[in-house]
Amino acid sequence: MKNKIFIALAAIGLLSVQSYAQDSGIDPKDLFGDIRARHIGPAVMSGRINDLESHPTNPRIIYAGSAGGGVWKSNDSGATFNPIFDEYCQSIGAIELDPNDPDNVVYVGTGETWTRNSVSYGDGLYKSTDGGTTWKKLGFDKSERIANIIVNPKNSNEVYVAVLGALWSDSDERGVYKSLDAGETWEKILYVNEKTGAADMTMDPNNPNILYASMWEFRRTAWSFESGGDNSALYKSTDAGKTWNKIHNGFPEGQLGRLAIAVAPSNSNILYTVIEAEQPERKGLYKSEDAGQSWKQLNNDFGITVRPFYFSRITVDPKNPDVILKGGLTGSISRDGGKTFRNLGNMHSDIHDIVFDINNSDVIYSGTDGGVYRSWNGGTTFEIVENLPLSQFYQISVDDAEPYNIYGGLQDNGSWYGPSSSSGGINAGDWNSIGGGDGFRVLKHPTKNIIYSEMQGAENVWRYDVDKKLVKTIQPLAQEGHAELRFNWNAPMAVSAHKPDRFYMGSQFLHKSEDMGDTWEIISPDLTTNDPTKQNQADSGGLSMDNSGAENHTTIFTIAESPLDENIIWVGTDDGNVQVTKDGGKTWTNTVGNILGLPKNTWTYHIEASVHGKGTAYAVFDGHTSGDMNPYVYKTTDFGQTWTNILTDDIVGTSRNIQEDYENENLLFLGTEFGLYITLDGGKNWGKFTKNMPSVAVHFIDLQKRTNDLVLGTHGRGIIILEDISPLREITPEALSADVHFFKTKPMMLSDESGFAGSFGAETQFVGSNANTSPQIKYLLPKRHTFGKMILEIQDMEGNVLTTLTPGKSKGINIVSWAGTIKQPRIAEGKTLAFGGFTAPRVPAGTYKAVLTKGKDTFEQTFEIVNDDRAGLSEADRKFKHEVTMKMYNMTEELAYIVYQIDAMIESPNTKSKVKEELNELKKTLVITTGDNYVGSAKPELREKLANLFSKIVGSYDKPSNNELANLKTIEDRFNASKATFEKLKKKVKDVELKSFDSFKD
Amino acid sequence: MKTFKLLLVAFAFTAFAQVNAQTAEEIVANYFENTGGIDNWKKIKGIKFVASVNQMGMEIPIEMVQLTDGRMATTITFQGKEIKQGVFDGETLWNTNFMSMKAEKSDPEQTAMVKQAGVEFPDPFLNYKENGFTIELDGEETIDGTETFKIKLTKKPIMVDGKEEENIVYYFFDKDNFVPIVSRAIVPSGPAKGQMSESKFSDYQEVEGAGIYFPFSQTMGAAMAPGAEAPAITFKSVEVNPTVDDSIFAFPKEDATPTTKN
Repeated sequence: MKNKIFIALAAIGLLSVQSYAQDSGIDPKDLFGDIRARHIGPAVMSGRINDLESHPTNPRIIYAGSAGGGVWKSNDSGATFNPIFDEYCQSIGAIELDPNDPDNVVYVGTGETWTRNSVSYGDGLYKSTDGGTTWKKLGFDKSERIANIIVNPKNSNEVYVAVLGALWSDSDERGVYKSLDAGETWEKILYVNEKTGAADMTMDPNNPNILYASMWEFRRTAWSFESGGDNSALYKSTDAGKTWNKIHNGFPEGQLGRLAIAVAPSNSNILYTVIEAEQPERKGLYKSEDAGQSWKQLNNDFGITVRPFYFSRITVDPKNPDVILKGGLTGSISRDGGKTFRNLGNMHSDIHDIVFDINNSDVIYSGTDGGVYRSWNGGTTFEIVENLPLSQFYQISVDDAEPYNIYGGLQDNGSWYGPSSSSGGINAGDWNSIGGGDGFRVLKHPTKNIIYSEMQGAENVWRYDVDKKLVKTIQPLAQEGHAELRFNWNAPMAVSAHKPDRFYMGSQFLHKSEDMGDTWEIISPDLTTNDPTKQNQADSGGLSMDNSGAENHTTIFTIAESPLDENIIWVGTDDGNVQVTKDGGKTWTNTVGNILGLPKNTWTYHIEASVHGKGTAYAVFDGHTSGDMNPYVYKTTDFGQTWTNILTDDIVGTSRNIQEDYENENLLFLGTEFGLYITLDGGKNWGKFTKNMPSVAVHFIDLQKRTNDLVLGTHGRGIIILEDISPLREITPEALSADVHFFKTKPMMLSDESGFAGSFGAETQFVGSNANTSPQIKYLLPKRHTFGKMILEIQDMEGNVLTTLTPGKSKGINIVSWAGTIKQPRIAEGKTLAFGGFTAPRVPAGTYKAVLTKGKDTFEQTFEIVNDDRAGLSEADRKFKHEVTMKMYNMTEELAYIVYQIDAMIESPNTKSKVKEELNELKKTLVITTGDNYVGSAKPELREKLANLFSKIVGSYDKPSNNELANLKTIEDRFNASKATFEKLKKKVKDVELKSFDSFKD
Repeated sequence: MKTFKLLLVAFAFTAFAQVNAQTAEEIVANYFENTGGIDNWKKIKGIKFVASVNQMGMEIPIEMVQLTDGRMATTITFQGKEIKQGVFDGETLWNTNFMSMKAEKSDPEQTAMVKQAGVEFPDPFLNYKENGFTIELDGEETIDGTETFKIKLTKKPIMVDGKEEENIVYYFFDKDNFVPIVSRAIVPSGPAKGQMSESKFSDYQEVEGAGIYFPFSQTMGAAMAPGAEAPAITFKSVEVNPTVDDSIFAFPKEDATPTTKN
C-alpha cells in the first residue's frame, strides 16, 4: 500500500513537470492571490445613470443602474449606495423588482439603452432571489441592451422583457419576450424586424393583461446615427401579449422615431407618450385619456423634444395623473397634465430617468450624466449623491510625482487630475478640474508643470500652466494647402519621451509641434482611408438632427512614438489603418494588410510602441461599432511586416487597450469591455483579474514606472489601481515548482510622512483608499496552505524574533504587511488604559529576515529597511532616537514588572498590612488607580507620563528635542526614585512567589 | 502528528474517489469524517480558545469561551486590563464600554441574533437539520487558487431594524480535503448592509484530547471593502469541554445602575 502511495505521488509530481516542459506557458488565473484592486474614484462628478428603480413598499430602498458602473443599492433613501453587481456586465439597461416579493427578487437587464456614440453593451438578463446579493443569468446573451422588465404584480411567474437589441448591427434577438416560469424559459411575443427593437414598455397597473410597447427603428455606425423609420410604432396588447395592435389615432403622419410610454398609476386610462416625428412641429408630448384609443398633442417644447434617443423617459406621479416628469437636457416637470412644463432645478445636465418616492411626491430621485440627485421639494432644488464613483474615463496618464498623480478625461464630465494617495484617503476635494465638455486625453508635460487637455473633436486643446494658472488653447488650425482637418471626437494627442516640449496631435494628418503647441507642422499625408461615404456627420441623427461631432470618422485615433527612437512613430486610425514611419514622418507604411484574420476597417483603438525592441509594437482593435464584439490584439517585432495574434478564447469583450510591462516582455495587461486580463507568457494564457475588480470596461491602462502600479481608466468605475505588479514578473515555472518563492524586494522605506486627515463628510461621501506604504513581505505558494501550522516571523540577522505576522496562505502571490515595528512594550496594569502605551517602536534601518515556517520546513528571505530621507535626520540622529526610544521601552517594561510585583505582594497573605499600605501608596504614584478612560480620567502618574512621552518621541519624524529630553529627565528621576522606594519595600516582604522578569514579559 | 499524516493521505484518496457527483450532505459528512469524526464533534459541550488578534501591526490577546447552551464570553486583555465583549449569559448580551470600562447591555435585536446563533456551536453544520437549517450545493468555485464546493447554508431568519431578513452563509469546502477554507455571509445591518463579508480558515490542526481538527488561523473582513486589511486571529490553544466558572457570563451587578459624572 505504502509503495502504491509513493508511486501515485511521484506520478503527480511528474505530471506537473511535464506540463511545464511542453512550454504551454503559465495559466495565471489562480495566481493573483493578494494583489487586490484599489478604487480611488473620483465620485465628485459621478457618471451616467441609465435607470432608477424604487421599492414598491419600502421607501428606504432605491436601486440605480448605471451606464458603465453596474447596479447600486441604497438602504437609506438614497443617502448612500453600495455596489451589488460587480461580477457581471456593468452596463445596465433596466432594473425591476418583483412586486410580489420586492425584498428578494430583482431582475437586471444589461446594456445601456440611451444609445449615444460611446454607449457600452450588455450580455443578457440576470436575476437575484436574495435582494441583489447573488445573481443568476437568465439568457438573452446577444440582446446587447434591455430597455424594460415587468413582473405581473399578481403573478411572479409572469415576466415581460423589452429587448431594444443591437445598436450597431442587425439582430433578431429583440422585441418583447414573455416568461411564464419566472424567467426560466421565454417566448418572443412582439417582433418587427432586425432593425427595430422594443424601446419602452409599460403595464396597466389595474389589469396585467394590458401592455403597451414602443418599437423603435434605429441604427448606429461609427460615422452616423439613424433614429426612426417606417417600423417605429406604439403597440397595445389586451390579452397579455398574445396579440398587439398599433394605437396611433391622433399620431403624426410619416415616419416615427423613439417613443416613450407611461401610464398614470392613479388612473390607468391616462397615458402619455413622447413622439419623435418627421415634422418638427408634430414632435412632443401626446396624451390619451381613453387608454390609447385616441391621442392629443399637448406640447412641443425644446425640453420635451430634445434628443429622443437620449431622453425618452416619462414618469407620472403615483398619486396625481397631472404631474409628469420628463427626462431631457435639464429635465422637465408639468403640473397641469402636460400642457406646460418648467425645467427641473439645477443639477448635472442630461436627465435619463426620474422616480418619485413611493409615499411622498415631494421627494424625487433623478439619474443624470453625472450621477444620482435627490430633491426634497418637488424638483425645485437637487443635491447630488456623493458616494457613487461612476466616473467614465476615456483615457488616463500618470506622472512621476510623489505620490504620483493620475490625469484623465471623462464622458460629459470634463478632464481632471488627482493624487494616487492623500491624507485620510482620496476624497472629492483632492481632484482638480483641468478641462470642460467631454474630456478625453490629459497629458502631463514630461518635465514642466504644464498639463495638456482637450474637449470633444479638439474644439479646444488646452495647455495649462499649473503654477501660474494660465490657460491657452493650442489645437492645430486649418493650414493653407491642406484639406479641412477632421478630428475624432476623442482626438489623439501624445507627448514625446525624447523631446519634452514636443507635442503630437492627430486629425487625418499627424501634427507635430516642437514648442508645446504654439507652432504646428503636418508630418504625414492623410493616413486614413479618407472614405467620403463616412464623412457625412452633419446629416447624422435621422428624424432628429444630431450633429454633435460624435460621429466624425476617417480620423487618426492613436499615436505612439517609440520610446527607443524618436523617428519611429505609429499611428492608428478609426477606419482601421496601422501606419508606421521610421524616419520621423517622411515616409509612411500602412501595415494593416499584414494582419491576418482582422476584419477590414476595424477601428484601431490603441497602439503600444514597445520598450523591448524598436520594431516591436502591439495593436489593439475594437470592432463593436460594426457589431463585431470579438477582441483583436496583435504583436509585431518587425515594424508591422508580420503580426501575430496574442489572444486566446478566454478573453471576453471587445479589446480597448494593452499595456506592456517595462521589464518582462511576456507580462501584458489587456483592458476589454468586461474587465482586465493578464498574461504572464506573452499571450499563450490569459487570466481575468477579479480581486476587487468589477467587470467594468477598461478603456486605458498605464504603468507607473517608479511604483510599478498598474493604473486603469475605467469607463464607469473611475480609476482603479493594482499596486506594485512586480511580483508578476517573477512567476516562472521554476518559481512555481518551489515550495515557497520569495519575491525580490527593493529596499523598503519606513515612511515618516504624516498629516491631518480631515474626514468630514466621509459618512456619505466616497473616499478612495490610499496606497499601502508599509514594508511588505511577498511570496509565491504553489498551493494553498490549509493543514498544519504556518507562521511568519520577522527576525534580526542574529535570529532574534522582532515580531510575528499572520502569513497569507493562498495559492499564488501572498503579500504580508509589516508596520516596521517590534512588539509594543509590556505596560503596567492600572485602573485605566495608558493610550501612549499602545505605541510600538520602529526598527532601525538595516537588514532583516522574514522567516516562514510551514509545518516542519522553514524558508527565509533577507530584506533591507531604509529610513525616510525627507525627515532630514543624520545617521547619528537616528541612532540617538533609537537609543532614547529603547531606553523608554525598557523603562516601561521595568515599571510594568514593578507594578506586577507590588500587586502580587499586596495580594499575598504573607505581606504585613503596614507594608501593604506603603506598597499601595507607592502604586498610586506609579499608575492611575481611579477614574475612567474618558472625561472621568484621573491625573496622570508615572506610567502615563512615561507612555505619553514615549509615544510622542516614537511618533515624531524628528530626533528627540531638548524639550522632550528635559521632560524625560524628570520622568527618569521619578522612575529611579520610585524604583529605589520599591527595592526598600521589597526587602520587607517575604514568601511571595514572583515570576521572573522574562517569564512576566511572555 | 502521526494521525495527522495518515489523515492527509486519506484526504488525497477521498478526493480522487469522490470528486464527482457530490451532494451537499456528502460534502458535509466528509468534512466531519476528515476532521475527527462526527462522534468526537458531538462530544463537545464547550470550547475555550486562547488567541491573538493581529491587525495593523497590533497584537491583541483574547480569550473566548463558548458553550453548547449558547453562553459565550470574549475577554480582551489590554495592558493587563480585561475587557469583556460579546458576553451572553443565555438571556442578556453585554459588552464593556471602552470609555467607562463598565458593562452595558445590547439591544434586543442583537441579543436575539446572538441567542439564535448559539445553536450553531460548535459547528453550524453539526446539527443543521435539528436546528431547522437547510444546506444546498450551490456550484463550484475556485477560491485562492483552490477548487471548492460552494455550500449554501440557510439558517433561520433574523430580525434587522424591525424587519425579518434571510440568514444565509456560503461555505467553500476544499475539494481535496472537504474542509471549509472560506465562508461568505451577507452583512445584515449598518452602512455595508447587503455586502458580502468574508472569513478565511487555514492551519487546520488537531485539538489535543478532543480528536477533532480545527482551523487555528482565521481572518475576518468585508470582501468588498477596498484596501481594508482583514483582522487575523491566530489560536494558541483550543480546550474542549473546559471547566468554566458561571460567573464570567453574568452581567456585573455593580454596573447595573450607571452613574453619571459631568
